[in-house]
Amino acid sequence: MAYVLFTLSVLLVMGFVGFSSKPSPIYGGLALIVSGVVGCVIVLNCGGVYMGLVMFLVYLGGMMVVFGYTTAMAIEEYPETWGSGLEVLGGLLVGLMMEVVLVLWVLSLDETVVVSFSDTGDWVIFEGEGSGLIRGDSIGAGALYDYGRWLVVVAGWTLFVGVYIVIEIVRGN
Amino acid sequence: RSHLVASLLCLEGMMMSLFIMATLIASNTHFPLVNIMPIILLVFAACETAVGLALLISISNTYGLDYVHNLNLLQC
Repeated sequence: MAYVLFTLSVLLVMGFVGFSSKPSPIYGGLALIVSGVVGCVIVLNCGGVYMGLVMFLVYLGGMMVVFGYTTAMAIEEYPETWGSGLEVLGGLLVGLMMEVVLVLWVLSLDETVVVSFSDTGDWVIFEGEGSGLIRGDSIGAGALYDYGRWLVVVAGWTLFVGVYIVIEIVRGN
Repeated sequence: RSHLVASLLCLEGMMMSLFIMATLIASNTHFPLVNIMPIILLVFAACETAVGLALLISISNTYGLDYVHNLNLLQC
């Protein structure tokens, strides 16, 4: 199916509209998780297998879980879903309407809008004795530990200091 | 009555869209070294999320709920 990437990007925008219309945080987190899954599949379709895996593990498996139970711990009231209040429903409908207009306009054109998704992801290398096959994105991300040694040190130190900052903020006084 | 955590969710959405865009640019322009940028972006977005959630917890401990109109100490 040639239009799978287009359909997935439309679903991504609709998921973004789902949490930017500001329902209760639990439903916003649900829409963010769905958008994350769809975005991960988009990245996988364009040949970024390693980056999709990183996004699934770190983003959806790490940050969304932390978001989920922090939201469940800090908020206790009657949750407001997409159909309950007029503002949330209005925002959702306006966002979806704008997306539908954009999709119809893009489909009415006869040429490619932004970029043509050519074959991506695999690199063929020719070494001394034979030829091999490497994935572009995992090799590129592996170069983080070669050319970007100092960047890894700075990022690791940032995370370490971040943990201390979080502890000090939550402790309060 | 809008929550503070809705703004944190929108920030997360922005970081995710930046990650997807950078990864697709790295794949489409056949420039694998650019894949370093989304990973580092994810690291610093995680730090930002952690600090934002810590602030959310401290606000929720002070005021009970995280409604934005509770943050009115500087109101004249």
